[in-house]
Amino acid sequence: MIASILSLGAIGFLAALTLGFAARKFAVEVDPRELAILELLPGANCGACGYPGCSGYAKMVVNGDKIAATCPPGGSAVMDKIANIMGLAPITAEPKVAVVMCQGDNLKAKDKYKYLGLTDCRAAQKVADGPKQCPGGCLGLGTCERVCPFGAIEMTPDNLAVISRKKCTGCGKCVASCPRAVIRMAPLDATTHVLCNSHDKGALVRKYCEVGCIACQICKKQVPGAYEIENLLATVVYENHQDAPAAVEKCPTRCIRDFMVSYPDGSSFAEATVPLKKEDRAA
Amino acid sequence: MAELLLILVSAIFVNNFVLARFLGICPFLGVSKKVETALGMGMAVTFVMTVATVVTWFIQYFVLIPFGIEYLQTIAFILVIASLVQLVEMVIQKTSPVLYQSLGIFLPLITTNCAVLGLAVLNIQKEYSFLEGVIFALGAAIGFTLAMILFAGLRERVDLCPVPKSFRGTAIALVTAGLLSLAFMGFAGLVKG
Amino acid sequence: MAMTKLKTFPGGLHPADNKQWTASRSIEFVPLPDELIIPLSQHIGAPAEVCVEVGALVKKGEIIGKAKGFVSVPVHASTSGEVVAVEPRLHPSGRPLLSVVIKPDGEDDWIDPLPQGDPDKLSADELKDRLRDAGIVGMGGATFPAHVKLSPPEEKPIDTLIINGVECEPYLTADHRLMLEEPERILQGVAILRKILTVDNIYIGIEVNKPDAIALMTEKCAGTDVKVVPLEVKYPQGAEKQLILAITGREVPSGGLPMEVGVVVQNVGTTAAVADAVINGYPLIERVCTVTGSGISEQKNLRIRVGTPLQHLVDFCGGLNGDPAKLIMGGPMMGMTQLSLDVPATRGTSGLLIFGEDDIPLVEQGPCIRCARCVKTCPAHLLPTTIAAYARLEMIDEAEEYCAMDCIECGCCSYSCPSFIPLVQSLRHAKAAILEKRRKI
Repeated sequence: MIASILSLGAIGFLAALTLGFAARKFAVEVDPRELAILELLPGANCGACGYPGCSGYAKMVVNGDKIAATCPPGGSAVMDKIANIMGLAPITAEPKVAVVMCQGDNLKAKDKYKYLGLTDCRAAQKVADGPKQCPGGCLGLGTCERVCPFGAIEMTPDNLAVISRKKCTGCGKCVASCPRAVIRMAPLDATTHVLCNSHDKGALVRKYCEVGCIACQICKKQVPGAYEIENLLATVVYENHQDAPAAVEKCPTRCIRDFMVSYPDGSSFAEATVPLKKEDRAA
Repeated sequence: MAELLLILVSAIFVNNFVLARFLGICPFLGVSKKVETALGMGMAVTFVMTVATVVTWFIQYFVLIPFGIEYLQTIAFILVIASLVQLVEMVIQKTSPVLYQSLGIFLPLITTNCAVLGLAVLNIQKEYSFLEGVIFALGAAIGFTLAMILFAGLRERVDLCPVPKSFRGTAIALVTAGLLSLAFMGFAGLVKG
Repeated sequence: MAMTKLKTFPGGLHPADNKQWTASRSIEFVPLPDELIIPLSQHIGAPAEVCVEVGALVKKGEIIGKAKGFVSVPVHASTSGEVVAVEPRLHPSGRPLLSVVIKPDGEDDWIDPLPQGDPDKLSADELKDRLRDAGIVGMGGATFPAHVKLSPPEEKPIDTLIINGVECEPYLTADHRLMLEEPERILQGVAILRKILTVDNIYIGIEVNKPDAIALMTEKCAGTDVKVVPLEVKYPQGAEKQLILAITGREVPSGGLPMEVGVVVQNVGTTAAVADAVINGYPLIERVCTVTGSGISEQKNLRIRVGTPLQHLVDFCGGLNGDPAKLIMGGPMMGMTQLSLDVPATRGTSGLLIFGEDDIPLVEQGPCIRCARCVKTCPAHLLPTTIAAYARLEMIDEAEEYCAMDCIECGCCSYSCPSFIPLVQSLRHAKAAILEKRRKI
């Protein structure tokens, strides 16, 4: 009985001594706030903040003298909590989502040549500037869908990329991966967009696409503050996005769409008609 | 001499701790996604296993048996292993923060790794002398590291393939582990027992 | 008959060479078209800078675009006439690029005087300047400026010159006919190159599917130290590194150039053009190319002017045979598919292949079955399937580790893949990503 207590006690004491000595010799400073922040972050390591992964971002927050970037997937909820941990005033990131500015699927837009190669938009773009006659349209080979860490992009059965407003966190990876720059960021609340990315003359656009913008200026005449025509392509002025839906019916080629009413043809997303608040979106 | 060689070969190939005895599956599956991390883990385990065997051997034959408290074997051994793992953790955190990050939770889990405790207990069961015990520990550790590295290499290649959705991740890893284990059965009969 | 083993290289494959369509057809001159479209970018390196305006009258051989920098050559007018446009025109690369459009006046007058010269009296540097001014580029298809290739740095001494008469691409017979019909020009070029490089050994590599060329060149080289080396028929024997390995046994190191092992390789067409440039003062404004395939009525070897639209060549060969499904400029393994026949022939156009739909395998891509045929045939000892997988998963560092940059894009892997996976495209994708990453660092 005594022997057991003494012997175990002795082993434990020796172990404690060794560990105590080692703890002093091999001490490493770790800021507990860094760990707390790492817990809060989404953990997708998407790099939207510009830092190497979520651990890189946490390190920056704790070691820098100010928070140099926001975490778009985390959104304002996470950013407020991080600010709280660091004892700073809350930071609000304006929620943005990515939108594919094109409706030119296989049925609506014509091809330049028959592409037999890698199913990757970047690779296809290198072959004589892409298989679509339209220089700016979506190639529909799914690179953005594969790159999205949140599964927010789908390819319609007729090869058009569509992004879900609900699932998109605004990390921007799809924007970087698109070789045609047809995906652009827009404010979450702006639901009306001119879904075209071609700067060609109207007559030429009509030759290769049924739903392209022909720069007829009707949208601008209808709602002067909400639309702007630049280089033969109309875009919504997002500061006045609430007025934009009025021109949707007037567009002769139907290239303006209001996502509150519906998503592009062939899309399976059904979350339209419901206003999406920041809190509704997936974290 | 031949005896020692036999123990070594048996521990590495014939009765491989992971693939034949099925001990230490947790780090085997958890740390084997990249060959570099597998190697790092293997080295950590080698250190723990060897030192643990030495220390526990002494404790068994100079403390537990003389005082007739063999029933405290499990507790005493775990105490030793836990301290050793803590030590290794501290050293790795200081010397290679990158490895520390990539091993993550699996480093402290070496403590509860049945392979280490299993090794210490088997050592006593087989009534090995000190030298035999050390060789056995080295063999076990080398075998463990070997299995991990082989498996990590296989997993890196499997990741390049379009694995069916339902098999992705752990499922295909377990299937691969099973096949690797089958392969190692080819060594059976090399050494008797 | 003594059966000595022919020299060759490891890897590679034997596609059917289909050269019988044109191997025995003599080279024919193609008359000038109504319009010559001369792109300012026909070579590796910076495009030439245009130096003529619309309305200018130019003579044959006049410089219409100046060289920009060291790795660049000037571009010349292929005939005398009027510059009717300087604008972007569809280019063999598939994009519209700046080109000078000339309407021939029918006189075909050379500039006067032509910069003729005596190779014996010119120094090595003067000879190289003449080559640059004449716009000499590699005519095997790579179009690398010759004067740059012939100017290795001092630390890399050259002791061997190899003349590439291999023409391993199926269907093409331009170099073959050149060797049969103009061997003296080639040998004059060899003498000039010898003077520039001061080499100890000179070889001419020719595949044994051209026995007449081997016999003729051997006869012409008798008494000189130029050795004709017959090579086993295997694609891509004509690739620089493989040619060097087969003839000299030296292996160019990974990431390196032939100068690392003391060798310079030049195509037979380039060599002949070198002779013309130095002795007669002719710039590079014409070349031999093979027009063949099931989609053309008459298969021929043609001497064409740079800037001739492909449609003109098709018309000269009796027109199309049925609806063409694929137009390839170059050979079927490494050539560039074209969008239309309005594209001009350039200095690197070794062939025009026209195929109907029956010749194209329109098969869906399948998954990799790990057959390793691509590994077996890769002449650069790479693992195309693994690099392609890394490229697909964006693991660029791993792709670089597996030596993706050593890929010569020969096409052996894509050709041999039973699942029709576009491996060369994946490798090109990996190489582009690696280069971009290197630029960022």
